Amino acid sequence: MKIIKMILVLCLTLPLQIANAETQEQIVLINSGKAGGSFNARTQMYKEGLIANGYDVVFENIGKISQAVEVFKKSTKPTIMVYANNQVYKQDLFHTEQNFIMLEYQQPLYICKTNASKDKSGVLTVAHGKGYDPKLLTNLLGSEVVLVPYKNSGAMLKGILGGDVDMMVNNQGKSFKYMASGEGSCEPSDVLPIMGATVIGKNIDLQKIRNVIYDITMSIEFIEYHNSRKLFRPSSTWAQELAYTQELEKGYEIK
Amino acid sequence: MQEFLANLNKNVYNKTMNELIAVSTGLFAGTITGIVPGAGVMVAMIVATPLLMHFDIIQLLLFYMSLASMVQFTGTIPAVYLGVPGETNSLPAVIEGTKFNKRKMAKLAIGICAIGSVLGSIVAVAITFGLLSVLVEHMTVFFSNATKFYLYIFIIAFCLLVYNKKNIVVNGILCSIGFALSMPGESDISSDIRYTMGIDDLRFGVPMMPVLIGFLIVPTIAKMISTSNPNVFLPNIDIGFCKVIKHFKKKLVASSFRGSVIGYLCGFVPGVSTVLSTNASYSFEKKLHPNTPGKLLVASETANNSGQFSSMLPLLLIGIPITGSEIVLYSMLVDAGWSPFQFDNVSNNADMIFKKIVPWFVVANIVGLIIAWPLARQVLNVFANGKKYMIAILAVGMLILNTYLGVLDYRVWLYTTCLLVFGCVGLAIKKYETVPLIFMYILGNDIEGVFYRQMLI
Repeated sequence: MKIIKMILVLCLTLPLQIANAETQEQIVLINSGKAGGSFNARTQMYKEGLIANGYDVVFENIGKISQAVEVFKKSTKPTIMVYANNQVYKQDLFHTEQNFIMLEYQQPLYICKTNASKDKSGVLTVAHGKGYDPKLLTNLLGSEVVLVPYKNSGAMLKGILGGDVDMMVNNQGKSFKYMASGEGSCEPSDVLPIMGATVIGKNIDLQKIRNVIYDITMSIEFIEYHNSRKLFRPSSTWAQELAYTQELEKGYEIK
Repeated sequence: MQEFLANLNKNVYNKTMNELIAVSTGLFAGTITGIVPGAGVMVAMIVATPLLMHFDIIQLLLFYMSLASMVQFTGTIPAVYLGVPGETNSLPAVIEGTKFNKRKMAKLAIGICAIGSVLGSIVAVAITFGLLSVLVEHMTVFFSNATKFYLYIFIIAFCLLVYNKKNIVVNGILCSIGFALSMPGESDISSDIRYTMGIDDLRFGVPMMPVLIGFLIVPTIAKMISTSNPNVFLPNIDIGFCKVIKHFKKKLVASSFRGSVIGYLCGFVPGVSTVLSTNASYSFEKKLHPNTPGKLLVASETANNSGQFSSMLPLLLIGIPITGSEIVLYSMLVDAGWSPFQFDNVSNNADMIFKKIVPWFVVANIVGLIIAWPLARQVLNVFANGKKYMIAILAVGMLILNTYLGVLDYRVWLYTTCLLVFGCVGLAIKKYETVPLIFMYILGNDIEGVFYRQMLI
């Protein structure tokens, strides 16, 4: 009897649910970040927040940034994605008035050095992410370095802890972890460009969606360092942020 | 406060339910995989992909652990009753198990194997617990590129020297094909796109699913079709639980312990782990007791389970897969967001193993004991009678899975074309073991990165 009752309720409410879904504004949310990373943290946050704000969110989980950018470029639906200024030259997708929603967070790149290599003279081995252009790094760090590419920030950290290299160029999170190990020290670089994560969108009212997602903040459990801090977002006007972001992304241009 | 406690309870309940789903589906998949000749853990992982895509990291690990453990139990059933190895490690069970079956003692054989398997698992957990502090203390050794470099040389040597009756030429060709398939798209050392041959979709690499279906599932289906299914049960004497325990305690405990230790150590050997565990333990026991099938059977089957646990440790602790099925798991874990490089805090991983994996490992072993012993014959009957339906479901399922994943990945045409090409090649080379190809395809990019860095450092 209970089962029949449940089926009846379901049949009666189903058209209502479908109607509701049809009236909701649909938005494609591209996640190009792995769980535990900053991009994923923010995309998950937006997913929950947009749903709470009445949006019908289509969540697209795409592991590779190049593939995510491709999907973003081809999308004909209202779409948003977390992106970063250090990718713009490689992906040929720059921040413009047509796609910029807001600057999400920014952080300097850190240069870490092992305790063992502090007094070392001559050529130093430097770990860097494969996404960084070797020419840009050589221009900034000088020619007395051997650049050793790694797949990502985590692999770099593992490499320096394992004694592969003398130095590494890494993000804030992994650099803090390295310092905590006591094996070396890190300093924010004043020569390497600042990394800024942004939110970009297309086929959507950019100002309207900015107002919606600007206030989305929540505490979520993440695997890495995100679990202990609230997500931080700078506040300024849209035009100021866009100008600032465009200035930041120029730092990744190879001269 | 009450609300907080209610939320806490709800979270714990949800987590436990999620873990239970992963373990029970793993056990179910393991039961089928162990009984179907030719199917292995790797094939089961691929077939279960639609489900595994929705699993988180812990669920994936639990599913794999339950699946792999269950296969060790149920793989013995067709080996003893039908003389057909359910999985590659069951050959000693076929040789010694059929001797029991001929004497109408199959139930005793299954019983002592099941008890031995549980004992093997317990010994493996105990050894791990004892060694963990030493391992954690010296963990940075495993972080270095040089360690990985030598390990990969070892893995490549194994791929060349172990599979396909040690035919180096065949293994070399398979490795080369696998490596070539890993090349298109981005490498691990540069984000430049390469070897796309003008095909736009190849910028993101050759898709994994058509490779796995084409080179693993298609040959497996072909083997399943060609394998005869005797389905003839000899009459057997019914032996009770207490009698089997008594027999085990009296005659087989020492063999079981020997098997556990040998199996545990061999489990760490890349490429062959549990196959080596079973056969090394069997050979060692044969030297000690050449004419006692019970001891030989228990030693090899205990080693099987013990080796299964230890083979997972390099992956769980330092993120290096050492068996074919672990490579598939590794790939799925990475897709689920697991970073194999987040081992700067190894004690957390050790904690995870003992708090999350081991308790469920015990549960999986108890269920394995029940299914592989009192219910063995019933389980075997169900699957032996439905072979043709299983083949049909598997074939259609794989086709749908490939298309579905292709649509999700926005590359459905590439997925379909690759499946057609790799399926035909897989069928043509069905008599060969394709594990070296899969190894090199999945690890190719990482191997390239490790070798390149080794040159620079």
